[in-house]
Amino acid sequence: MNRFSVKWYLLLLVLALYACTKVINVNLNDASPQIVIEGIITNNPGPYQVQITKTVNFSASNTYPPVTGAVVKITDNVFATTDVLSETSPGVYTTHIVQGIPGHSYQLNVVTGGQTYTASSVMPQPVTLDSVSFQHTNRFSKLDISAVPNFQDPIGIKNYYSFAQYVNSKNLKTTVVFDDRLSDGKYISIAIRNDSSYISIGDTVLLKMNCIDKSTYDYFYTFTQVSGNNNFQSASPSNPVSNISNNALGYFSAYTTQSKKVIAK
Amino acid sequence: MKRLLLGLLLITGLYSYAQEKHTISGTIKEKRSGEVLIGASAYLMELPKTGTVSNAYGFYSITAPAGSYTLIVSFSGFTQDSVKIILDKNISVPIQLLPASVPMMEVVVTSKKKNDNVTKPIMGVQKLSVNEIKNVPVLFGEKDVLKTIQLLPGVKSAGEGSSGFYVRGGGADQNLILLDEATVYNASHLLGFFSSFNSDAIKDLTLYKGAMPAEYGGRLSSVVDIKMNDGNNQDYHANGGIGLIASRLNVEGPIVKDKGSFIVSGRRTYADLFLKLSRDSAIKNNSLYFYDFNVKANYKINDNNRVYLSGYFGKDNLGFGGTFGIDYGNSTATARWNHIFNSRLFSNTSFIYSNYNYNIKINSGNNNIIIKSKIEDVSLKQDFQYFVNNDNKINFGFNIIDHRISPGIIDASGTSSFNPTNLPIKYALENAAYISHEVSPVEKIKLNYGLRLSAFSILGPGDFNTYDSSGNIINTRTYTGSTVVKSYINLEPRFSASYQLQENSSIKASYTRNVQNLHLLSNSASTNPTDLWIPSSPNVQPEIADQVSLGYYRNFNDNKYEFSSEVYYKTMQNQIDYKNGAQLRANANVESQLLFGKGRAYGWELFLKKKYGKLTGWVSYTLSRTEKLIGGINNGSWYPAKQDQTHNMAIVAIYQASKKWTFSSNFVYNTGNAVTFPSGKYQVNGQTAFYYTERNGYRMPAYHRLDFAATLQVKKRKKSEGSWTFSLYNVYGRENAYSIEFKDDPNDPTKTQAVQTALFRWVPSVTYNFKF
Repeated sequence: MNRFSVKWYLLLLVLALYACTKVINVNLNDASPQIVIEGIITNNPGPYQVQITKTVNFSASNTYPPVTGAVVKITDNVFATTDVLSETSPGVYTTHIVQGIPGHSYQLNVVTGGQTYTASSVMPQPVTLDSVSFQHTNRFSKLDISAVPNFQDPIGIKNYYSFAQYVNSKNLKTTVVFDDRLSDGKYISIAIRNDSSYISIGDTVLLKMNCIDKSTYDYFYTFTQVSGNNNFQSASPSNPVSNISNNALGYFSAYTTQSKKVIAK
Repeated sequence: MKRLLLGLLLITGLYSYAQEKHTISGTIKEKRSGEVLIGASAYLMELPKTGTVSNAYGFYSITAPAGSYTLIVSFSGFTQDSVKIILDKNISVPIQLLPASVPMMEVVVTSKKKNDNVTKPIMGVQKLSVNEIKNVPVLFGEKDVLKTIQLLPGVKSAGEGSSGFYVRGGGADQNLILLDEATVYNASHLLGFFSSFNSDAIKDLTLYKGAMPAEYGGRLSSVVDIKMNDGNNQDYHANGGIGLIASRLNVEGPIVKDKGSFIVSGRRTYADLFLKLSRDSAIKNNSLYFYDFNVKANYKINDNNRVYLSGYFGKDNLGFGGTFGIDYGNSTATARWNHIFNSRLFSNTSFIYSNYNYNIKINSGNNNIIIKSKIEDVSLKQDFQYFVNNDNKINFGFNIIDHRISPGIIDASGTSSFNPTNLPIKYALENAAYISHEVSPVEKIKLNYGLRLSAFSILGPGDFNTYDSSGNIINTRTYTGSTVVKSYINLEPRFSASYQLQENSSIKASYTRNVQNLHLLSNSASTNPTDLWIPSSPNVQPEIADQVSLGYYRNFNDNKYEFSSEVYYKTMQNQIDYKNGAQLRANANVESQLLFGKGRAYGWELFLKKKYGKLTGWVSYTLSRTEKLIGGINNGSWYPAKQDQTHNMAIVAIYQASKKWTFSSNFVYNTGNAVTFPSGKYQVNGQTAFYYTERNGYRMPAYHRLDFAATLQVKKRKKSEGSWTFSLYNVYGRENAYSIEFKDDPNDPTKTQAVQTALFRWVPSVTYNFKF
């Protein structure tokens, strides 16, 4: 329901009438580098990867130093098996045996720099993405085309979804999350809005739909408020709610994924 | 002990007049229109110490030993009136004042009572009449009481062009805004760029910055008490204005001459009409307007009974190409009965209705959704004023408010992706009783002390949950029928004292406790029409503020100049903040999303006003700090609140150059708000994310702006007059930062950048005002 933000539309109108924007220099403090962990297990066959990097100062370029030499393990709590990952490139750790199975709970364990970071995630049961359609909206003088995933939300279960889009093979880099808090058991057709990137008729659109657990949903719900492409940030932004212990940034998520490729019309 | 003391003082007060004394009382009105005058001063020339001031209904009462006297009545902008009276019994003397033939600048100030601001034992109070604000330049040329009060010390603007405000470090929801005694829950139009109050319909405004008298309660920081005009009871008149984006019309006249009058004011913006001119159908189909109406009627049944009916209705309507629309607005109605029991006892009984609601319509693909929310109050308020003798007045009364809050109903069509949802209605009863006593126990010292007892009861039916620290329900209790779920009873002492140093200078001190039981949940940078009001509950404790303040007041140059210096220190308990990623919308368990903590605010306010002469205006300066301590934020240490502005200054100057031209200008400067900026960045999911180290650790750039306006009186005949007002907002076109966003550089993916958005550079406006 958040996407229907009144403020967004109103501000847009005011901006169109009066506002002016410019790039400015803000004197931001330096912060000591923090550890960032991004670990993923999907229901596609492995191997899976865990990436470990560090934060940089705002003024630095967008290259993030990898954390090498960490001990990274993933445990399948159902099978009670532990996979010790190998560092296949700097800061990228790859699994050997673990497989993503819906319903299984996975535990991530990272030891680096004398600190231990742990996280766990449960892979939800998949929900079938039936089709992808398109919705046309006139937003001021611009025709806005949005992809619309169509799927049946299972009744009586809390479901959380995330969506990613690739237009002509280019990742639009917008993360959209949706939960069935107000939609339990409905047949769902929701336009995935883009704030800064647009779809044109004839484009090849690949829509990915992931079924995620609550901790991943919470992470991305708060992440969208502080990511670099968000137009109107919340009043008091803060770091996303992570499921990783010991104040690490990032997330560990086990999710099911599926995608459909369609031509925009 | 406190109550015992109060009782004792009351008794001594009551007995102190047991000599041969009589009372003069009556109503003070403007002669031409019959409008009652609030705050006019009356005193006996032979006993200069007997002075009093007319109350909110123009009623005054003076008690003196038998004898013959001259009653002097004066009010700024009006010719002074004197009446010879023989006081051998209680008598009623109605007074009618004539407006001074030339505007107030040339009124010769002789009355001693012009120094009320010095002598009255009340502090942190500011009064504005519509006369005073009409020449202050504002955005879009719409004169606006809520924007003008932001130029006073201790009051901060909620943002560029906004009618929202913060008082002494309090939140935007901690201001009680009353229109003819009815609570206005959302006092803004069009996202705050206009206030709900059409200045044509308003008589005056009183702002209490925390140290409010005991008859007010329910909000922590301030009371803005706005009184509507009563209407002319002599002749029919119309006046209005035509502006670039809004026009107004006001009609008033007698119902029965001398006995009753009515006033109807309306206003509408037509920014959307310009959209209609567009050839682009996508723009054409947008709507963006608001309108509001004020109506009021009063009728004097006889000398001792008068009834008033007043109402307000406002609506904003925004629509975007048929896919999204929102309408929202307040409506209020007040029925009042003034009754004069005798020359010393004045009573007012009010029945009040207040409603704020919004409706959102979404029509997107197969999703047809309507979201409705409403807050509705019905209340009864009874106030008595007992004039024991001069300098000895008792106010007492009670107030019952029945709150009904419907946080959200979602209607969704069968094919929609959403389920119809009906969040349960919340019921609460807010009761209060108060007594206050204004007395001068010894010469030069005046006291105003009182006690307010507030009782807030949360009523069933409904389910009431308790939550663990991560927001999961651990227990649910179900109540059926209108049973009391929980009551919060609070005693709110109010005390203030003044000590007159010299004729024109005094010092004052006050202590006040205020309690607030309705809380506004808003997680966005500015106030939103869809922000959610919630009542106190088993999980949400009442907010409590204690404020002490100390001030020095001095008038000089025959009261032409008014100076004040006040310091305050305020602590606030049970302040509300939000968990990371709090889900406030359509959430039955919204209370699980909250964090609680405390706040403190302190500051020094300086104010110098020139009240009369060709040049009028004021300078205000505030040095202040506002901090919060919320568990779970900034490791539980104090941090600056968003509205913490170290320096805040305003200069307002109005110059009447000739009978034709009036020039005015204002300048504002303030330290930027405290904000949260990133101190680093990283990459997740292929996207840039920002790393935050602390809440509100940075500052927005300082804000400053100069505005200018000129008013030209074009024709002034016996029956009609017209004037043009030209104004320029932000004269030197400063790009004041409205927001600063951090994002990827669109031209260089290896970089990030900070982008500042500024609103309103050089907004010119022109308005034609007429009167006949």
